[in-house]
Amino acid sequence: MPAYHSTFNSIENVRVINGLPLLPLVTRTRGPAPYADPSMTRDAIDEALELFRPNSLFKNFEIKGNGDRLLIYIILFTSQCLNRLRPTTTQSEATKTLYSLAVANVVIPADATFPLHNMYPGVSDKSESDTLRQYLTQVRQEVAQRLVTLIYTGESVGPSKWWMSFQKRHFMGKSMA
Amino acid sequence: MSRLPPVVIDNGTGYTKMGFAGNTDPQFVIPTVIGLPNQQSRYGIASKRGIEDLDFHIGDEATANSKSYNLNYPIRHGQIDNWDHMERYWEQSIFKYMRCEPEDHYFLLTEPPLNAPENREQMAEIFFESFNVQGLYIAVQAVLALAASWTAKGSQQTLTGTVIDSGDGVTHVIPVAEGYVLGSSIKHIPIAGRDITAFVQQLLRDHGETNIPPEDSLDIARRIKEQHSYTCHDMAKEFLKFDAEPVKYYKQFDAVNSINQQSYTIDVGYERFLAPEIFFNPELVSSNFLTPLPEVVDTCIQVSPIDTRRGLYSNIVLSGGSTMFKDFGKRLQRDIKRLVDGRVKKSEELSGGRLQAKPIDVNVVAHKKQRHAVWFGGSIMACTDQFYQFSHTKAEYEEYGPSICRHNRVFESLA
Repeated sequence: MPAYHSTFNSIENVRVINGLPLLPLVTRTRGPAPYADPSMTRDAIDEALELFRPNSLFKNFEIKGNGDRLLIYIILFTSQCLNRLRPTTTQSEATKTLYSLAVANVVIPADATFPLHNMYPGVSDKSESDTLRQYLTQVRQEVAQRLVTLIYTGESVGPSKWWMSFQKRHFMGKSMA
Repeated sequence: MSRLPPVVIDNGTGYTKMGFAGNTDPQFVIPTVIGLPNQQSRYGIASKRGIEDLDFHIGDEATANSKSYNLNYPIRHGQIDNWDHMERYWEQSIFKYMRCEPEDHYFLLTEPPLNAPENREQMAEIFFESFNVQGLYIAVQAVLALAASWTAKGSQQTLTGTVIDSGDGVTHVIPVAEGYVLGSSIKHIPIAGRDITAFVQQLLRDHGETNIPPEDSLDIARRIKEQHSYTCHDMAKEFLKFDAEPVKYYKQFDAVNSINQQSYTIDVGYERFLAPEIFFNPELVSSNFLTPLPEVVDTCIQVSPIDTRRGLYSNIVLSGGSTMFKDFGKRLQRDIKRLVDGRVKKSEELSGGRLQAKPIDVNVVAHKKQRHAVWFGGSIMACTDQFYQFSHTKAEYEEYGPSICRHNRVFESLA
């Protein structure tokens, strides 16, 4: 049984830039993401955060669709978030640190600094890449917010050590600097 | 005249299991290691009395005396590597551990699959000439493991089946048809108990269990593996179960520091279900071996003769300590079933609906005697009347020589 794939691979009628689908999100952050159907209980970010732990243990992953491309991006970003935290970081500190990480230097897969740059198709013009950058900023903020609520379970001051044990595991052996 | 019970000895690479037939568990389970005196202790008390050849230890005593005795492992990869050491090992097994007169007993020994007949001759020579045993039977380990599964509920009691034998070093998948091993279809997997322990050790380190002293770390990992691990249904869902009910799933493990005797606790988390998962996702620990166990079992059966395949699928038997995880059999059965059904469905589609295959019955047999399955199977076999008919006796040995032990007849059933 190989690594888990996204359930959003087969979704159509969605704008795709740089291989990433602009999937609807359940979020209050502003940005170009399409409004999600209020009945939707599990959006792409929820899915990626669920798959973060199992998939981080895998080194091989076959990209089966655009949903998987977004999944990879979110997992790599989540891993980057965890690496910014220490066992003693409090919840309010974490919220701040991760927010600033989310909005600063937003890398899109078309950038050469993105570790899996070659696995994504390029962008055609600057307006496209701007839209994508805005969308990903929105995704990253939402990931950071949800991650903080997940890893601060209230048992201790710091983040859950079970999540922090994934700091050194890198999905596909890659990490965003 | 009533006979004394036969002695069953199963010499494995790691451990030797020995006991009298008819018992449900071996009397002794000791490491297959022999300690021979090293240079410094050569002029000890034994040499003064002229009994140097009796000055050696086996099993746990050998490891305990490893300072003045050199440790030798007479069995490598399941096969006897050093016959001289092995003979002395048997000597103490019989006289010091089993404490029996070999002249009064029949013996049942075990051999790995694909063992050379010459090795059987050598065994016969040692047992008949050095120990003067009444009778000897050499059984294949995989066949005994099949026999051990006869005690399981709903067992078919056949000698056809696939044996998955997972000990400490390697895991073998051995197809057996009517009591004969299909040598050409045997498959090996380089993942077994030792790798699981190492993985648990690494996971413990990852979540920062810093109070484990380094010298105890391997032992603690092994005990956590043995006490708390279980096979999960689906990895991703299992993580969510831990989030939803932390009290039920996270465990605490109490341990005592072996040096200063202070007790401490360790939190046990995801390693509980990730440990056995490496059989199903070898990718978690290995980068060069990536085939999951269910797939290996499936290919092993697919390369076996076509008329045996249904029998091999319907009786997949687990043996060895590393198959003891809770629900391991269920998970394996589900995964193999999925592979087989997928293939049958595909061939039905390719035939355009003209062919309808009879569904293949996949059945993984788990039972209570898995840990020492080979020994237990030997214990059952040696209790039957057939055992005395099929064993080679001292008289036969003297008449024909060691070559009679090249062939050992297969038991038909439990009569």
